[in-house]
Amino acid sequence: MIQLHNVTMSYQAEAPALSDITLKIPKGDFVFLTGQSGAGKSTLLKLLYADLVPARGQVLIDGINLTRMTRSQIPFLRRSIGVVFQDYKLLPNRTVLENVAITLEVLGWGKRDIGKKVHHILKRMGLEDKVNTTPLRLSGGEQQRVALARALVNDPKILIADEPTGNLDDENKEQILSFFKEANIRGTTVVVATHDQRVIVNSHRRVIHLEKGRMLEAPDVQK
Amino acid sequence: MSRNKQTVRPKLAQEGFFGRLSYFSARALANLRQNVFVSIVTVGTITLALLIASLFLLVYVNLEGMVEGWSDKVQVTAYFDREPTPLAVSALKGRVKALPGTAKVVFVTKPEAEIRLRGRLKGQESLLEGITSDVLPASLEISLDRGHRESAAVASYVVALKQIAGITEVQYGEEWVQRFNTFMNFFRLVGGLLGGFLAVAVLFIVSNTIKLTIYARRDELELLGLVGATRFFIKAPFLIEGVLQGALGAVLSLVALTGCYYAFLHNAENFLSVNPAAAGLSFLPVTYLAAVLCGGVLLGFIGSLTSLRRFVNV
Repeated sequence: MIQLHNVTMSYQAEAPALSDITLKIPKGDFVFLTGQSGAGKSTLLKLLYADLVPARGQVLIDGINLTRMTRSQIPFLRRSIGVVFQDYKLLPNRTVLENVAITLEVLGWGKRDIGKKVHHILKRMGLEDKVNTTPLRLSGGEQQRVALARALVNDPKILIADEPTGNLDDENKEQILSFFKEANIRGTTVVVATHDQRVIVNSHRRVIHLEKGRMLEAPDVQK
Repeated sequence: MSRNKQTVRPKLAQEGFFGRLSYFSARALANLRQNVFVSIVTVGTITLALLIASLFLLVYVNLEGMVEGWSDKVQVTAYFDREPTPLAVSALKGRVKALPGTAKVVFVTKPEAEIRLRGRLKGQESLLEGITSDVLPASLEISLDRGHRESAAVASYVVALKQIAGITEVQYGEEWVQRFNTFMNFFRLVGGLLGGFLAVAVLFIVSNTIKLTIYARRDELELLGLVGATRFFIKAPFLIEGVLQGALGAVLSLVALTGCYYAFLHNAENFLSVNPAAAGLSFLPVTYLAAVLCGGVLLGFIGSLTSLRRFVNV
């Protein structure tokens, strides 16, 4: 599903954010991406949804080489990837329903179908009573669930999350992780970047460790 | 569709611009509602900018009309040594009217010329002692079309007029015509420069205001790109929003202009003695009002388009 071949990425004159990364994540896998702040986790995730282009190497999603994509093809790739951003990126002047509906509006869904689907996922996330609330009136955990609902409402092939448990208490962390596991059981490939060791240890999932832009352990490259 | 197909992704029912126009329009209206302050700032700026521009237009159009009115005094007089017979007069009038640029021809007989002279010298009748109508020449007074009142056009008209047999002398106040033309050119230059500066200022202010309002919503633009929206999908509601704001601003500026006109300018002759014959300033013609409306719509559209180009990175 996801393949990186000798990917190097650097921001202008700075030291490379990623150096010679090669990895494969099979379809339906659940992977944790870990490492210290500045290790290159967010950069790697951004490469997966074509927010960045590698300086060298190839990134393939579902067999499509992202480095050869034109600008106009990128939106169609992103429609099959759900992303939970570190800062949530919720629109403060729109309601929870409208924030989640954006993903389906982009796909051209009708209003009635959007309403049904969004209500369904918000109910799953335990947010059915917050439909008409704006994000600023929600707690951190609730905002995170709205961001997750927006990423999952489209039933994406891949779910990417950047530090999804960073600002949450233990109870909320558990809840969010259970949603990731649920999505994975439904067949979505999940990539979660986190530096929270407790989350990683308890999950018993594959872990890719990054340090200063290099992949220190790559046990699954040969898969 | 049966209920067990709910899990299947619904068909994209609204492909293409016209199919999705209702969605984009609804989104644009929702954006206006959800960003009330920003919308008010944009519409207010467009209203003020267009009000200033249309006030300038109103004054300019009236001044131009007044100055053009002065050009009615550009008149050519053709004199005859001997008064032509009535039959010859109508033949002469016909030949003069056939010249390009002729608007109106009036024949003045010798006695009529004497009456006019006496009228002009009222109170100084002693100067006219011993003068009879025989001394004064008969003449044709010719008014010219607006397009033939420039110095060069008048001069070439006079040359053509002199070719007509029987006309011995032609006068047209050459110096006055030249001065008038110089003044008209200066007036148009100053008007053009002021109008040009004003148009640039309006464009600058409005486009920067729209740029700032779109900058304030850059997170929304970024997010739309990240969830898979195409460039067109992101831009369309913003462009419609710009058009709506521009149209609303233009309408409000015209309402304010109408208010200003009836409150202060409608009977301007009370405090302006520029042209006592005129009944105050006249309102802008319909074509100008339509131009202001179109200008508002274009300002909103182009302002949004240029700003979006900078902030949409998809």
